[in-house]
Amino acid sequence: MADIAIIGYSQSPSWREAELTEPQFLFPVISEAIDHAKIERREIGFTCAGSCDYLSGQTFAFVMNLEAVGAWPPISESHVEMDGAWALYEAWVRLQAGDIDTALVFGSGKSSPGNLSEIYPLQLDPYTLTPLGVDPASMAALQARALIDAGLVTEREMAQVVARNRRDAMNNPRAQVSGDFDEDALLAEPYLTAPLRKHDLPPISDGACAVILATADKARAVCERPVWIRGIDHRIEVHQPGMRDLTVSSSTQIAGKNAGVGNAPVDVAELCVSFSHEESVLRRALGLAENVKVNPSGGPLSANPLMAVGISRFAEAARQIAEQGAHRAIAHASSGQALQQNMVAVLEGD
Amino acid sequence: MSASLPDETIDPNAPVANMDYFMALEFKETICPVVQRYTDGLLAGKIIGHRCSQCGLVYVPPRGYCPIDVLETTEEDEVELADRGIVTNYTVVTPVQYYGQEATEPFAKVSVLLDEPGGMLSLQDVLEVPVEQVRIGMRLEAVWVPESDRTVEEIGNRSWGSADGCILGWRATGEPDVPPDQFNDRVF
Ligand SMILES: [Zn+2]
Repeated sequence: MADIAIIGYSQSPSWREAELTEPQFLFPVISEAIDHAKIERREIGFTCAGSCDYLSGQTFAFVMNLEAVGAWPPISESHVEMDGAWALYEAWVRLQAGDIDTALVFGSGKSSPGNLSEIYPLQLDPYTLTPLGVDPASMAALQARALIDAGLVTEREMAQVVARNRRDAMNNPRAQVSGDFDEDALLAEPYLTAPLRKHDLPPISDGACAVILATADKARAVCERPVWIRGIDHRIEVHQPGMRDLTVSSSTQIAGKNAGVGNAPVDVAELCVSFSHEESVLRRALGLAENVKVNPSGGPLSANPLMAVGISRFAEAARQIAEQGAHRAIAHASSGQALQQNMVAVLEGD
Repeated sequence: MSASLPDETIDPNAPVANMDYFMALEFKETICPVVQRYTDGLLAGKIIGHRCSQCGLVYVPPRGYCPIDVLETTEEDEVELADRGIVTNYTVVTPVQYYGQEATEPFAKVSVLLDEPGGMLSLQDVLEVPVEQVRIGMRLEAVWVPESDRTVEEIGNRSWGSADGCILGWRATGEPDVPPDQFNDRVF
């Protein structure tokens, strides 16, 4: 596979309720990503977007989002009804063909108008799980309980993950939840859905993220510090959560192996830890050493723009390499219930 | 979200062949600032659009950008539009009585290209004209809801061209039709 590089990225802040429409807040994010890559809009050979019409309750909302792209004269574009990380994957595949050299990918979501605990069950088995209204917090609580019962994580460790993420988010101007929190104080909070407390859940966020990808020749020509995608893979586990061992993430493990995570030491990892206990599952599945810094941005526990939160891990991991001196980083995105689907990429600087 | 009640006409011992599941999702949307300016205008009897400073296209309701030029538009680009125009495109809808359909007779939805400075309102109702007489090039004028009865409750960020609650529909002015070659490329 040809090396593809991230040559530009941009993220909106995460808002609890954006005043602007999704195309309106996407508009500057896409322009900034293009500026950041130091290319012209017309140099983009392929555009791919990730979003979900269910979030805003608007049929063909994803078509409106194209207004932020500049689609005249007509462009070559595609859309995934998934997080923008999967749009990035599609563009990575598209760039392998070699006939074009630059791609724009983005993810965006405005979840504030709807009720996520009613929308999310619609992705489950429509006979046995959707009618029960199994929402993400309930599913996550089942996973957390399984982990605690197996002795693989403790509630204190979960509170430590939250406190660390919120502290790290103080340096992230795009974060929605940040601050210095004492883990004992967090543990004194009541349960929301035992064993999860409110802070074990991600915030509800509106927001967007855009990334520019380029082939090696193009990246060398326009970018001082390209961030190379050395490996990328995604795997899906069975849809019925009752058939999975929730204490492990075999899809992450396989994707990580195929992406080459274990081939060399990792400096930093941006993982899609939407619920605090997931960090322990993902760390184990990827075989990350103790000293690997996870989510220096504050991660999804601090900023959770659905459909952009996964691609934001790519942007944040690339930022660590291009701006913070890391050499080798992991970007991870997740989809489905309780880490059902996972994508892992290995990013490297020169 | 709510599941349906059991149907008492079904034999409880029969194998399950179908399952009803009725549900609804509710969305509450905040009107974005540029659309707010548009709805405020409608309540005052004005149609407000944004004119792109680069290509001159007029967007109504304003979107806050020109997607053609990828250029942000602001209050400085606001223009007050005419409430008269021409039919550039239309569809006659023959209602099928699906759940929620209130119309029973065929009706027309038209795109109205407003007179200078321009702007296009789509999916507008035509009043007092039989559907078979609706035609491209026909000149129309807005019939406003009386000011005290106007409402913008039905207008959201996504209601392209809607003036529901403020403009009742459009009626023929009786002026001669405009030849189509005068509004080429202005179908939608
Ligand atoms: Zn323009």
